[in-house]
Amino acid sequence: MMRRLLLLLVGLVALLPSDAGAAKKLRVVATIPDLADITKQVAGDLVDVSSIATGVEDIHAVPMKPSFAVVLNRADAIVLMGLEAEHAFLPALLEASRNPRIQRDTPGYIDASVYVRPLEVPTRLDRSLGDIHPMGNPHYNLDPGNGKNIVRAIVEGLSRLDAGNAGTFKKNGDAYVAKLEEAMARWQQQAAPLKGKKFVTYHPDFIYFAERFGMVQFGTIEIRPGVDPTPAHVADLIEKMRQAKVELVIRELHYPASLAATVAQSAGARLVELPAMTRGVPEAKDYISFVDYNVRTLVKAATGG
Amino acid sequence: MNDAMVVQVSMRRLGAFALALCLIGVPVPARPQGSEEQLRRELDAVKEQLRRVEQQMKQQDELIRRLSGERPAAPAAPPAVTAPARPPGGPPPTAGTTVDVEELKRIILGEIQPQLAASNKTFPSQFNPAIGFIVDTVFSHTRQNKSNFEFRSAEIGISAAIDPFARAYGIINGTPDGVEVEEAAIVTTSLPWNLTVKGGRFFADFGRLSTFHDHDLPFVNRPLVLDQYVGGESQADGVEVNWLAPIDHYLSLTAGMYNKIGAENDRVDNGVSRDLSEFTYLLRAATSFSFHDEHSLDVGVSDAFTPEVRIANKKSRNLAGLDFTYRYTPLASAGYRGFVWGNELLFNRESREVGPDTGDFKRRNAFGMYSYVEARLSRRFYPGFLFEYVEDIDGPSRTIKQYSPYITFWPSEFQRLRLQYTHTDGPGRSDDGFFLQWTAIIGSHVHSFRDR
Repeated sequence: MMRRLLLLLVGLVALLPSDAGAAKKLRVVATIPDLADITKQVAGDLVDVSSIATGVEDIHAVPMKPSFAVVLNRADAIVLMGLEAEHAFLPALLEASRNPRIQRDTPGYIDASVYVRPLEVPTRLDRSLGDIHPMGNPHYNLDPGNGKNIVRAIVEGLSRLDAGNAGTFKKNGDAYVAKLEEAMARWQQQAAPLKGKKFVTYHPDFIYFAERFGMVQFGTIEIRPGVDPTPAHVADLIEKMRQAKVELVIRELHYPASLAATVAQSAGARLVELPAMTRGVPEAKDYISFVDYNVRTLVKAATGG
Repeated sequence: MNDAMVVQVSMRRLGAFALALCLIGVPVPARPQGSEEQLRRELDAVKEQLRRVEQQMKQQDELIRRLSGERPAAPAAPPAVTAPARPPGGPPPTAGTTVDVEELKRIILGEIQPQLAASNKTFPSQFNPAIGFIVDTVFSHTRQNKSNFEFRSAEIGISAAIDPFARAYGIINGTPDGVEVEEAAIVTTSLPWNLTVKGGRFFADFGRLSTFHDHDLPFVNRPLVLDQYVGGESQADGVEVNWLAPIDHYLSLTAGMYNKIGAENDRVDNGVSRDLSEFTYLLRAATSFSFHDEHSLDVGVSDAFTPEVRIANKKSRNLAGLDFTYRYTPLASAGYRGFVWGNELLFNRESREVGPDTGDFKRRNAFGMYSYVEARLSRRFYPGFLFEYVEDIDGPSRTIKQYSPYITFWPSEFQRLRLQYTHTDGPGRSDDGFFLQWTAIIGSHVHSFRDR
């Protein structure tokens, strides 16, 4: 009797740690698909990656769904843009997640911006300037030159959590950076006609892209970042665009179509509609094809194609 | 020699003496002690020094040339937890250049250290909590109560982490009635098993809009049913435990124990001690369902039970609530389009005194509800309509109905104007009112999970 009981106990104990032996995959949640894709490139099948945003959203207005709190509750890491880009949803979701592993400044909090040189860092913090980001413009994912900075932050972040696979992360990261560099040579060549072109966007999303490819942001349809325009601002912008012969109006797809079209038409400029994130359009299925899409579409518009 | 000459001579001597003193005092460059050999040796030493400097400059020139040919990125890995400083740039860590980059970094950092140190001042206020300030003011005109500029509130909210284990926040509200601590609570942040514990004074987790501050409501006035049944905001002094179920579906459960629930609930006095049976106990479950990414339904049930209400002849009171909120949020234009349908139904079961000071209590069951729809037409305009139905808590046959169309205009995320018309049908009276509300926030603001 005792022996049977003992055997049963041994059997039960053997059953208990069913997944303890097998290497447990890290569960990584990225805030946007760009970061999810790059994480996937770095980690391959070593981690499970999901994204909070689908790619069509305004990163400053991603809806805070309770289901995200559940996903974050089980995550080992969060990969985020940083520079307060996710201010509207991430801090509250992190709090609601109850997950101490991914709170700010813990090893599981992977801020992809740590190696990015921020642009438009405000010299004065005042809401009369709009909904400004104290640490600088956070839309750095639009510049593929920042790809390697993002890779580096993610490689380091994942290596903190899984030191055993640090070598693989580094190797994959280097391979992906090489791929990005190869693509960059192509983009630089393709984007030659964009050099010196002035453009107006709805929100200052394209400032990093512009710096990379030599374009000049002439103004924004928003009167200030995050603040919709007044009629006077729109009239003034159109007038100045005419005088300066601004040729392009970029509408990020999550901003209203009609106003951007009106501005473009009144100012005699061409309207270009672009995603601000990977998966923002069906063609932009990963980070490289997202940059491909933006460069291709802009060049087509700039050259009158 | 007359006196004047004597003075003149002694002045001249004094001058010569002073000059001699100066000559002795001033450090004069070391003169060669007559030996040409020594002079040559010193010259050689200077030449050698110059040669070394030239060599160093050449090395640096070479380094700069190498660096300028390549794009920035890369030094050694930063420490794990703290955010690393943004590197000024450097080449990829290929063999041979790594050491030079490190050396260059050291040189540059050494050079700019005084400036770095100057910007690294510490401020005694560095650890002060985040502070926000909200002004809420309403101009109202009703047929029965004429017109008034109502100064609703000036509210200061502060919040910060206490330590690795908890955070605290406070909301201090100034109204025409005085200054009140509306909330002052400690919330744990690192309990295991998905638990959080909240203690102090806070808005108990009853229903949905009971936990909103007045200025956060989607319309000008708090729904009548919340005013009458809950007692305004669900303010409570007590303790609350919340648990997020560790399952794939969102399910949050709350249990609480409080002196009472309701900022204006006068059935219980916060300042008087009571038996265990005279506290109010709360249970709440909340969940959420998503359909096709853009549609969601949040549902919650709450129950606040008071075994013995002190003033009500020690009879029990039970307040139950059901809340459900449907949202349509188009992902690609969440800032510009959307739709909300919010509802709360409350049931109050309580022994109420039949008349003032009669000492005669009678069991009353009362039901009240509100339902509102709000559309988001643009980033600025949110029109809506609120319907309310409330049975009087003392006499359920007396009912009030209210109809309130309203429109909210947001000049920016931090300022709001709202115009509302309310028609009231009550027992023996009807009323019409217009309200114009102007609300603004300065300083720190958070988008909280509850207020979504």
